[in-house]
Amino acid sequence: MDGGNVFLTLLQKIAPAGVPSWVLVLSACLIGIGILVGLVSVLVMFAVWLERKVSGHIQCRFGPMYAGGWHGWAQSLADGIKLLAKEDLIPLGADAALFVLAPAIMLAAIFGAMAAMPLAPGVYFANLNLGLFAILAMSSMTTIGVVMAGWASNSKWALYGAMREAAQVVAYEIPLGISLLVPLMVIGTLNLGEASARQAGWFGMHWILFQNPFVLPASILFFTAALAETKRAPFDLPESESELVAGFMTEYSGIRWSFFFLEEYAAMFLMSVVGAVFFFGGFESPFTHIARESFGSDSVAYQVVAGGTLMTKAMFGVFLMMWIRWTLPRVRIDQVMSMGYKYLTPLALLCVLGAGIWEAIFPGATP
Amino acid sequence: MNFDGIHDRLRVIQAPGLLGADLPRAAIPGAKHGESKDAGRGGDAFVLVDPQKIVPFLHVCRDEDRLRFDVLVDLSATDPKAEDPNLWININLLSVERRQRLAIKALLPKADLKMPSSTAIYRAAQWHERECAEMFGITFVGHPDPRHVLLPDDWVGYPLRKDYVFPKEYHGISCE
Amino acid sequence: MSAEPQGSMTLEEQARVLPTGEREFFLDVHTTDLEVNFGPQHPATHGVMRILMRADGEVITGAQPHLGYLHRCAEKIGENVEWLQYLPYTDRYDYLAAMNNNLGYSMAVEALMPGLELPRRAHMIRTICAELNRIGSHLIAFGTYGLDIGAFTPFFYAFREREWMMALFEKICGARLTYSYIRIGGVFNDAPPGWLEEVGRFCDVFEEKWKEYVDLLVMNQIFVKRTADVGVIPKEMALDFGLTGPMLRGSGVDFDLRRDMPYSLYGEMLKDNAFDVIVGKGEKGTLGDCWDRTYCRVYEMMESIKIVRWCLERIEPGPVLGDIPKVLRIPPGEAYVGIENPRGELGHYVASDGGKVATRVRVRGPSFTNVSVLEDLLPGALIADAIAIIGSTDVVIGETDR
Repeated sequence: MDGGNVFLTLLQKIAPAGVPSWVLVLSACLIGIGILVGLVSVLVMFAVWLERKVSGHIQCRFGPMYAGGWHGWAQSLADGIKLLAKEDLIPLGADAALFVLAPAIMLAAIFGAMAAMPLAPGVYFANLNLGLFAILAMSSMTTIGVVMAGWASNSKWALYGAMREAAQVVAYEIPLGISLLVPLMVIGTLNLGEASARQAGWFGMHWILFQNPFVLPASILFFTAALAETKRAPFDLPESESELVAGFMTEYSGIRWSFFFLEEYAAMFLMSVVGAVFFFGGFESPFTHIARESFGSDSVAYQVVAGGTLMTKAMFGVFLMMWIRWTLPRVRIDQVMSMGYKYLTPLALLCVLGAGIWEAIFPGATP
Repeated sequence: MNFDGIHDRLRVIQAPGLLGADLPRAAIPGAKHGESKDAGRGGDAFVLVDPQKIVPFLHVCRDEDRLRFDVLVDLSATDPKAEDPNLWININLLSVERRQRLAIKALLPKADLKMPSSTAIYRAAQWHERECAEMFGITFVGHPDPRHVLLPDDWVGYPLRKDYVFPKEYHGISCE
Repeated sequence: MSAEPQGSMTLEEQARVLPTGEREFFLDVHTTDLEVNFGPQHPATHGVMRILMRADGEVITGAQPHLGYLHRCAEKIGENVEWLQYLPYTDRYDYLAAMNNNLGYSMAVEALMPGLELPRRAHMIRTICAELNRIGSHLIAFGTYGLDIGAFTPFFYAFREREWMMALFEKICGARLTYSYIRIGGVFNDAPPGWLEEVGRFCDVFEEKWKEYVDLLVMNQIFVKRTADVGVIPKEMALDFGLTGPMLRGSGVDFDLRRDMPYSLYGEMLKDNAFDVIVGKGEKGTLGDCWDRTYCRVYEMMESIKIVRWCLERIEPGPVLGDIPKVLRIPPGEAYVGIENPRGELGHYVASDGGKVATRVRVRGPSFTNVSVLEDLLPGALIADAIAIIGSTDVVIGETDR
């Protein structure tokens, strides 16, 4: 693996001679951050719009129809401008420093996690060998932001939300991590791009899912744990608007409040990408296969098709999360806890055991 | 059982505090509908009860075998006229088991607005009595939670009394 | 605030054994209960109710409802306006079942008018409107209960059907929420042409959609887990608190004023066995839990459809308003009339001294007594259960406060 960065490589090619290398590295970093933030913001705006459309159509209505003309495509943009223009409120008695810092920490954590996400074969912000590890570590940092927000708000509802989030994340980090061990045993790498590349073959359908019978239950466990991890219904207890008003973000308003949303949708997308890469073939699909065969593996057309495939899979995951949110009622806190500790964790461990035995008997796919 | 049956039964078992019945015009022989303004009143028949003995009376109504009024539906008061010396206490009982109703009326002198609380017999009376107390100024002796229920805690006067004077302002808010 | 075991005692030795057999550790760590102000501005209070809750973590240790935020002096107004003028005020106490409120008040006043004969068509239209309104009210109860539990979509499905119901009312009386349509002596005007046929179509469609509600929410496994065995009101407690309506039937008491003390046309319907009374059976948990109350409400909607159908089959043309003078003078008297509202018994005690204005209009709102049970029901529940319990009482604040 080259540890480098596409932007750095690009800059090194076009920069005139004599520019110090730290300038290049710094510029590459800034460009990367800019693109990442822009990309994630656009993705989140799309996801928010999608959520409103999906919920609308599930509920026999249309959702946004006016802003921008075609099916209200500019609704999120308009909302974003509105939120930017709103007054920035910090409640009296709140811990102002923590109150301001909390959304920033959440954003930083989720952007950090997203940096390890490949966009297309060979296109990435940070090509990490421990990619999955970095994603899990960084995304669980968002909990700190939630707890900070809850504590700093000086509101009892916010505190309840924060405590629930802390308890819930601790309970669901475990099955989330363990269920990911199953595909890892099959594929043998933590690097997302590499993991995807190893699933090429079988006409683009050599997915981890089809390599080991224990991957399917593990994927369901992963999906459930990911729902809880991203605070999505039916596990949206930290937020649960009918119980805790709005949970940890009760006291937030304006652009800070929208940061929490940015984080939530980014986390949903990220978890879907992880699921798509480690269970459902990542970039691989028959279309990717055809594109690779016809245009060659370093052509732009192949990269577009591969990136599009991953994006489609991830968006389907996001859509699935929305579908579930608008269908199911919310579970109770003790039910969440007992489900995490009593059912998901042992089941995930069983899957690991089964997958390990299977791999020992049929050591096929792992290179 | 109809009202007469219940009334007879109450008399037979000598229910404590029972004073008689307040019968409507239709029940008085010889009176015709709408014949004269003074030929009694219309509507329901009531049992008249001594308000000070309301607790043992309700106890009998609830536990007596042929009455079994297990639900207190309503408890309220009425101020018939500003110059009337009495308030009416209106209690409505319902028997789920025997499918019958009983309306109870008690005359409480305005000079001494005190009567025992029936909360111990029917828990439902607790909130009705709280409302009654704040609206009419009746003191229910032995009430476990005598706070206001609908009005603010510092409300002056008893709004449902006929001699109530509407306030001009409340905490600086003009009421006119 | 130290969690260290004191002296040489181990944690195990320090533990105190509670009467339940549990052992309590860290006795030297003192925490105070959190006092949470639930409402008046809270998404799950269905209005402006305020409950002061004391909570130990997620477990509620005490609850005190505070009412009066929506107190509009309805009873005092009743003593100051003419009989017919008071009718629009009745719309406003249980604003989700305004037709039933109109009916209750009109029947109470009619009880004081001995010579008044109501035309049969008036009774029919009254019953149709009251039962349609009951469906609408239960739809809200069901939809918002889903919302409380965290399911959004059933709420919109419920509103879809309620919208049609309101359109029907708009056609017959011009209003969508506060109708003032059922008047003393009958109803305001006759149904417009084609209205009764549309009610028939509504019944057909509603029957189909109703199955969706049951599948989507009532029998949903998460919903059952959230509501079964939560907020159990035993039969004795229900009677003691004077609960009525679905709250009482959810506790297994087989009592419905429409059947047991029939008024209007319900006695006639009983002879035809036109409808049944739905009683909670404790199917999914303990008898009298939140699920049973929801079950009663949801299944009652179908019984209302049966009643509406019964009326539609028998309705005949005729007058809809009895002989009522422009300015009503009600003969002296006092009467209490209780009818079965969607939330329980709505009682009106009216007293007249023969004049144009009532001496007393007492309103016994079912929500008022239904809310009083919260004081005893909430302690011991989780915060999330508290929402489920409050939702299952189906409180309308306009009626508790009047």
